[in-house]
Amino acid sequence: MSTSFEMSLDHPIKDVIAAHPPIGVILGDFQIGCVDCSVGTCLLKDIVDIHHLEPEAERDMMERIARVVEPGRTAPVPLRKRRPFATGQAGTSPPIRKLMTEHRWILRWAALIPHVVERADLATAEGHQLVLNGVEFIRSYADQFHHAKEEDILFGYFSPDMDILKAMRTDHETARGHVRAIVAAVEQRDATAAGKHLLAYADLLRDHIRKEDEILYPWMDRLLLDAQVGQMYAQFAEVDRHFGGLPQQLEQFVAKLETRWGIPPPQDAS
Amino acid sequence: MNFQGCPGSKMMDLRTPQAAAEPVAPGSAPSQLRQWPVQLHLISPLAPYFKGADVVLTADCVAYALGGYHTDHLQDKAIAIACPKLDSNQEVYVDKIRAWFDDANINTLTVMIMEVPCCRGLSALARRAMESATRKVPVKEIIVGINGEIRQSEWLTL
Repeated sequence: MSTSFEMSLDHPIKDVIAAHPPIGVILGDFQIGCVDCSVGTCLLKDIVDIHHLEPEAERDMMERIARVVEPGRTAPVPLRKRRPFATGQAGTSPPIRKLMTEHRWILRWAALIPHVVERADLATAEGHQLVLNGVEFIRSYADQFHHAKEEDILFGYFSPDMDILKAMRTDHETARGHVRAIVAAVEQRDATAAGKHLLAYADLLRDHIRKEDEILYPWMDRLLLDAQVGQMYAQFAEVDRHFGGLPQQLEQFVAKLETRWGIPPPQDAS
Repeated sequence: MNFQGCPGSKMMDLRTPQAAAEPVAPGSAPSQLRQWPVQLHLISPLAPYFKGADVVLTADCVAYALGGYHTDHLQDKAIAIACPKLDSNQEVYVDKIRAWFDDANINTLTVMIMEVPCCRGLSALARRAMESATRKVPVKEIIVGINGEIRQSEWLTL
């Protein structure tokens, strides 16, 4: 890719890093982990906006990137206009806090998955059922209950064309693919394939939730109006009412498994 | 029917679609007030402008300290003001705030107070109302410094 610094801002980050590998290192220096992202379709300018570095840090990072793209550049680096924050940086809003609490349970399940792979014998009825119960947690809790709020409601407050949302939805689809593969493997009593997709699912979810908790949600919270926060909270309460006691039953499935195996919740899920 | 009571307590709904959209003449700032009255003892929590509204409960001194109060904090919101240090009969305040949650079905509540310690009482009243209400809505607390800056802004834990 041969282009100017300004043009590179409108390119997907994977392409930018592929053309200029030092940019991945520069982003890493500012705790922006795009090198490890499994999707990488976000535009460089959106990544700068979403991570919302301190102005001095952002200027430093952009100047370093500009020197990589255009060695010998003398023109000043144009800095983006910062959008005013709707909520005045009021921290995590109640509906987003709800989603993050649900993430903690999904991470607790992800932390159990290696132990499930190690201990569940698909040849036995008990092992077979254990994996199916785990699939039920993924489908009913993570994909239906949690995503009814996240994908169907929260994402609906933002343009569906945003690359960061497309990247998140791609992760969701990849996760659903792993779940289908797990179910197929369990039906065929193929422990190797089931284990492979269970572990891939856990890895994907850990990385995906980190991106949402640390980058996507804080960025969304900065843009949401108070009125939207209130509307979303009411919509989430409606989802909670619709699902009744099922989410709590599924959380107990995870908690009981931790107790039975003596495995404490991981630190990032406490 | 002519209003016979105190004009300071007469309920007035000042909401108009044009109010927020009118062009701003240089040197003038349009009012974002959509209602009358505003004092918490005088308002009815069931007045139409509170139904489903984003409400800002503001300590008396805040609007004097904060230069951009109307444009940054009052726009599209219903308001009540109170002083937790000087006002009497504050149990009525708790009942009225609770009625916002349970009966007026407000969408959000923002409590704006000054940084001085006596002002925390207004947040405490709002918390008591929030905890005793059946219906939960997001509540935000904004603390304003006496120099007119936002010292803290955070959503409270429900």
